[in-house]
Amino acid sequence: MVIYLRELARNRKSFIIWTIALLLSDVLMMFFFPTVYDQSKSFNDIIRQFPEPITSALNLDILNFGDILNYFAYVFQYIILFSGIFAMIFGAGALSREEDEKTVEFLMAKPVTRNYIVSAKLLAVLTYLVLFNITMAVGNFMAFEAVKKDDYSVNLLMIALAGNFLAQVTFAAIGFLISVFVVKSKSVLSVSLGVVLGTYFLSIAAAVSDKLENFKYLTPFEYINPADLVKSGRIEGIYLIIMLCVILLSTVLTYFFYNRKNITV
Amino acid sequence: MSVIEINNLTKYYGKSRGIEGVNLQVEDGEIFGFIGPNGAGKSTTIRTLLAFIYPTSGNAKIFGMDCFKDSARIKENIGYIPSEVNYYEDMKVKDLLNYSAKFYKKDCSSRIAELGEVFELDMNKRIDALSYGNKKKVAIIQALLHEPKLLILDEPTGGLDPLMQNKFFDILRAENKKGVTIFFSSHILSEVQKLCDRVAIIKDGRILKVEEIEKLRSNKYKKVKVEFRNGDSIEDLKLPNIVNVSMKNRQAEFLYGGQINEIIRKLSQHEIENLWIEEPSLEEIFMHYYEKEVR
Repeated sequence: MVIYLRELARNRKSFIIWTIALLLSDVLMMFFFPTVYDQSKSFNDIIRQFPEPITSALNLDILNFGDILNYFAYVFQYIILFSGIFAMIFGAGALSREEDEKTVEFLMAKPVTRNYIVSAKLLAVLTYLVLFNITMAVGNFMAFEAVKKDDYSVNLLMIALAGNFLAQVTFAAIGFLISVFVVKSKSVLSVSLGVVLGTYFLSIAAAVSDKLENFKYLTPFEYINPADLVKSGRIEGIYLIIMLCVILLSTVLTYFFYNRKNITV
Repeated sequence: MSVIEINNLTKYYGKSRGIEGVNLQVEDGEIFGFIGPNGAGKSTTIRTLLAFIYPTSGNAKIFGMDCFKDSARIKENIGYIPSEVNYYEDMKVKDLLNYSAKFYKKDCSSRIAELGEVFELDMNKRIDALSYGNKKKVAIIQALLHEPKLLILDEPTGGLDPLMQNKFFDILRAENKKGVTIFFSSHILSEVQKLCDRVAIIKDGRILKVEEIEKLRSNKYKKVKVEFRNGDSIEDLKLPNIVNVSMKNRQAEFLYGGQINEIIRKLSQHEIENLWIEEPSLEEIFMHYYEKEVR
């Protein structure tokens, strides 16, 4: 409990900044919906003029801007990118920061096991991800209610949001594992950005090129693509299994390697 | 019962040596000095005891429990002062001490206040605004606040002014009277000499000698300085039992471990300008151990 609470306190500021920034961008974009709605016919026509690779890369091909969920899905794919970065930075920073700032020597001299340290930090990151997603859900629901033209399925909205949560947990878990090996804050940041942006571009590549289609299995952004989720209403089983496996494996390996690690500062 | 028991502990970092075959026993209630030059393996030994790092081979026990399996339980009764103090920079002094206290199942607030007063530490200052010496004070209080049974101190006096050093030593002696065992690592002999009952000398990752301070002091070595009148040199004396020889112009300096009569007899056969025979300082005795190992 001691480390958990300390971890929450330590990251509070940065959590608030990330949440406000992402919520505001999301909600502000939603407030453009009435304008987009009014001109959705000409919008859709213009988009049809675009070359096919561009529309499919940006998920414009399957979206109809006259529909609030479709419009949301378009906006939300960018929010998802930054949510992923946020989750990865939090996940990768939790353990590594103690080593980078050499405070780990203080922590390890306390009567706690390494498992306890990892668990407390995992739990703290998970807590913030849950809080973030609750905030996003409430914010989006209110924005939807404010700008909606017709009825929409709250269910589909929540599934798209849940997809983001799952992707975040996946990135955070990968971040934890990486941070057992990479501890310098600069390297942690670049590796985190690299993984998230890398997988994001993989998802674009998979959408654009048929040859690269199988890349879709390598990128969480494809698993929880909001444009697909608001249509199908479910995350595909295979993707769900992949994400759960990655989360589980990363977590187990984090415990495994962190317990065997020589902590030298 | 031995409080610390180290058996054949070896640690390699990849190919580079940390420590090699270290054996040590620290008994309950003693102040044990651990001395050696920088890079000798003092911190490696301590970090292994605290399970920051794992040994390549060998094992270690504290309070009879395995240092690696039971590390968390052992640490309930350990206070540790690191050689380099690094704390959370967003915290104030009192935040850090309160955070530290929360890890132990007891109320440490009065102890924190008491120690803070002794060391004249401003509790409301931010950690990152503290000088090196003041950070060290925080580390000392942090190590003492839960009244541990064993103190592991890795070069704890760095940055403390002499006045604070004395206060710190007084506290250590008081703790020791209460039964606290102290493992005191340092490269400064005089402070170990002031405080410790026994001392282990470590060099290049190996323990050279474990000795009682009193015995070291009462050792049979004499420091001899001879100034020859003519071109004679120390070799001409053909003396056994001499170490640490240094020759400057016509003046030879060395430690002599044999019978005093014998050296007098040998010396009397030479033309001598000047002669000093005195007690060596502990530093010189240690230098002797170091050098012996080099040869």
